[in-house]
Amino acid sequence: MSTTGTTGTTTGEPSGAAARTAGKTTGKTTGKTTGRTARRGTARGTGRGTTERRLARAGWLYASPALTLIAAVTLFPILFSVVLSFSEVRLSYGGFRIEGFTTDNYAALAHSSAWFESLVFTLGFTLVTVVLELALGTAAALVLERLGAARGWILAVLLLPWAMINVVAAQLWGYLYNGTYGVVTWAIEALGGGEPAILGRPVPAMAAMAVADIWKTTPFVAIIVLAGLMQIPRDVYEAAEIDGSGPWTTFWRVTLPQLRPILAIAVLFRTLQAFGVFDLPFVLTQGGPGTATQSLAILGYKTLFQNLSIGPGAAVATSTAALVMGCCLLFLRAFRAQVDEGGR
Amino acid sequence: MRNQTTRGWRRYINVVNIGALIIVVLTTAPLYWMATASFKGTGEISASPPTLLPGHPTTGNYADAFGGNSLGRYLFNSALVSVVSTVVVLALAFFAGYALARLPMRGRGPIMIALLMISVFPAIAVVTPLYLLERSAGMLNSYQGLIIPYIAFNLPFSIWILRNYLLGVPRALEEAATVDGAGPLRTVLSVILPLARPGLFTAGVFTFTATWAEFLMALTLNSEDSFRTVPVGMALFSSQYTVPYGTIFAGAMVATVPIAILVLVFRRSVISGMTSGAVKG
Amino acid sequence: MALSRRTLLASAGSIAMTAGLTTACGTNDLDDLLVEAERPPEGPVTVRWWAGKIPARDGGDMRPAIIRAFRRKNPTIRVEIVKGLSTTDGNRVALTTQIGGGSTTPDVYLGDTTWPAQFGANYLALPVDSLVPESFWDPYPQALMQASSLKGKVYAFPCYTDAAYLFYRKDLLAKHGIPVPRTWEELERGARRIQRAGDADYGFVWQGSVSESLTCVVTEFLADAGGSVLDRSGRVAVADEPAQRAVSYLRGLVDAGVTPSAVTTFAEQDAMDAFAGGRAVFLRNWAYAWGMSEADGASKVAGKVGVVPRPGFEGRPDSGYACLGGWSNFINPNSENLGAAVAFARFCAGEEAQMMLLREAGVLPAMDTVLDGPAAARTGDPTITTTRRLKLVARPVQTPYYPQVSKAVYTQVNSAIGGSEPVGGALRAARSDITAALEGKAL
Repeated sequence: MSTTGTTGTTTGEPSGAAARTAGKTTGKTTGKTTGRTARRGTARGTGRGTTERRLARAGWLYASPALTLIAAVTLFPILFSVVLSFSEVRLSYGGFRIEGFTTDNYAALAHSSAWFESLVFTLGFTLVTVVLELALGTAAALVLERLGAARGWILAVLLLPWAMINVVAAQLWGYLYNGTYGVVTWAIEALGGGEPAILGRPVPAMAAMAVADIWKTTPFVAIIVLAGLMQIPRDVYEAAEIDGSGPWTTFWRVTLPQLRPILAIAVLFRTLQAFGVFDLPFVLTQGGPGTATQSLAILGYKTLFQNLSIGPGAAVATSTAALVMGCCLLFLRAFRAQVDEGGR
Repeated sequence: MRNQTTRGWRRYINVVNIGALIIVVLTTAPLYWMATASFKGTGEISASPPTLLPGHPTTGNYADAFGGNSLGRYLFNSALVSVVSTVVVLALAFFAGYALARLPMRGRGPIMIALLMISVFPAIAVVTPLYLLERSAGMLNSYQGLIIPYIAFNLPFSIWILRNYLLGVPRALEEAATVDGAGPLRTVLSVILPLARPGLFTAGVFTFTATWAEFLMALTLNSEDSFRTVPVGMALFSSQYTVPYGTIFAGAMVATVPIAILVLVFRRSVISGMTSGAVKG
Repeated sequence: MALSRRTLLASAGSIAMTAGLTTACGTNDLDDLLVEAERPPEGPVTVRWWAGKIPARDGGDMRPAIIRAFRRKNPTIRVEIVKGLSTTDGNRVALTTQIGGGSTTPDVYLGDTTWPAQFGANYLALPVDSLVPESFWDPYPQALMQASSLKGKVYAFPCYTDAAYLFYRKDLLAKHGIPVPRTWEELERGARRIQRAGDADYGFVWQGSVSESLTCVVTEFLADAGGSVLDRSGRVAVADEPAQRAVSYLRGLVDAGVTPSAVTTFAEQDAMDAFAGGRAVFLRNWAYAWGMSEADGASKVAGKVGVVPRPGFEGRPDSGYACLGGWSNFINPNSENLGAAVAFARFCAGEEAQMMLLREAGVLPAMDTVLDGPAAARTGDPTITTTRRLKLVARPVQTPYYPQVSKAVYTQVNSAIGGSEPVGGALRAARSDITAALEGKAL
């Protein structure tokens, strides 16, 4: 097979070269290869006004089922929770009721060292895991992209951790880290590490948790990035090859910039998930030793469901959401050009 | 192609293959312990030093998972809920993602941000109001009572991923189709849909696994045993003071099979969707 | 910002909806409920009972048998099981969401003995003391009644209890000529001797993880040392001299290597595994550990295990303190079948059901009189035959803020045991955390 030329031959579609020269072909072009020329084409056709309005209407038509459903189902619970966080909540026979507006719930957070400790742990955990998962996930995607027949199988293997039920995955790691018979404990002992008590000390416990999280979610990043890699037009690489770039330079100069919209999603949603980390600390350490691994989600859970403090619990949840949202907006602002590319 | 002339096994030694090997080993090592533990008896599971292979392999854990507990029923419920949710999410998210990526609607930016906001809200905080909502709508203890919130809470991410994925698809293709006289809907279905396959795969995998593993809503919204899903069912395995690792791992092995099958089935379509752009010669 | 305008509108609508949802079902009055609860059901009704499995000694489930016995006495009341979880936390999430959300089902639910005060204060459980004569409570342990009540009202019917024991390796003690320890100091010396001889990896295993179990352990050792978390007047006593002695002892066990440092991660299962795997000489655990350590195949120490009440500290008159655990039946105040629900919960607490539990179940019946009878001796189960020798202590559960109090105890003591905090500092921190918790100010 040559490096240029016919692609998509298996599905009987016209070749990229043909598509490029002809400019327009039948409606069945896959267009993976049209690349730069097409990408840069900014012509939107003439007769702008009416077409634009017609297209916008079509847009709302396409988007409205999804948006309506989301609004109908999610708006009430979220706003309800926000309202609760500003309310004095009283339980009574037959359910709880809201009595009056208050900011006490947030004042309680501000005065609580537990909340700050949780925040610090959650931020640290998020930062470490997201950075490592992104790096490892991208590396894995690059490997997968270059694999031949084995790719599908490895993809399936990679998805197994990701597909595992969170609680069960956490229990599996709890089993591996078990203080008396866990295989990791045993391996460390065998290597002369003494009696490690991995989950019993703050720093090893955090590291152990990060490893478990990385194991479970790196595949997700890898798959997202792989989908992005698939989309990079061939000729971009060819141009780099002609320029005489080495693989490393090509990666930084060509691959990475092309991947940005996809990487942005990976960062965004991994951050969201890492910020909400619950099952791992809940199963592995219950937030211990002491409160070293008590994430914001655990704190919120304990406040809401163990203490039945509905107002403060809602405040923990709402403030967490506000913080993550803030991080995401900052991130989006910094990467605006990449995430919104073509979006306005 | 040049290095194919290298003789013998040495030609398999390269960065890519070694990388693949490392990926497979690191991914499967913990799974290996889970798999073997699911065939170990109670005493051997907590033996120290741990045994590499079950000394006395037993299927007792599987019998426990299926016999003492209605795992079969939970699997059916989970499969139904996850499949329906995933299909609907993909259908809705594809069109919404396309519209948000391509069509000149006003307010696309705020919509994307609003979708993000929905995704950031912690599940623990929405589950109680959701319960109130479903109770007043009479939707507790039903399949739709889980499917509808699953769809709604998983749509935002899928819309995001499909929109960002479709941003990368060259505009010239649709224009070509439009010039050829195809209506907007036909353009989307015949041109964009085939191209979106990797994006749909990603979103689909995400939605399926998220719904397959969801615990909190499944626990609180459906308290009837006949509507419970696998994660809740597996939480029933534990008793107050014991974590029956063997039974849980046996259940986890069984619960993982549908996912593996799904991936293997869709692997082909995804790979063929991907290869056209990816062949590096 | 078109978005914010829309959001505001939507949130206004949502608040209106909220008000509608909560007031629609928030009008029940306690007196009406109690009248309702006293009325026996007319015509056939179905009561839904949320309960985790109650294990039978043969590995089966006691729930259906109890329901059958109830049906024989009350043919018009059907009882349906809603399979509850067996973990306290999972049950709490499911039940508080449902009942707090106004659900009329389950009518009766089996809940932890630490819940009554909190659930009562939050209107999740019906006060039941006025529904039964005062003498009704006489046959149950004092500690259980204490744990089930708040401000003079009782919020749960007893079902079964649990208690902590000291399990030991008969064979190892005999081999080294060590008598069964009567004090903690003796236990430490004996354990160390056996460890030094290489006959066991660990001397004494217990539960030190960040969880309710550690609060139980601490409650017991505090009682041994003559202290408590809260004293009789309700003052926080957790930094007093007895507490210092108790926690210093636990910390000392880890420092001396008698207890592995991994104990700070140990829940019941981990300690049990170490003991059943033949790696530990002594184990503090609940009654279920007897069956587990005697199980052929699963346990390496079957036939080599003895059970005694927990020892005490040297120089202290008392020993045999045991934390009270177990499960009680609560009535959902929203239930539409209050009368039938109460009838069923009462039946579970009554002599017939308690005798069934004694004869067939792997749990401790709550009724003292049942445990005193000849049938108890016939079970041959040492956890049952020694129960009446135990001094049951309740955790400081008579506050709606018990979870926060417990959390303060287990997080701080866990830090002290793990060595990241000095004992004194950790206990003072626990004291201030508990004080804040009792004022309702802790998260």
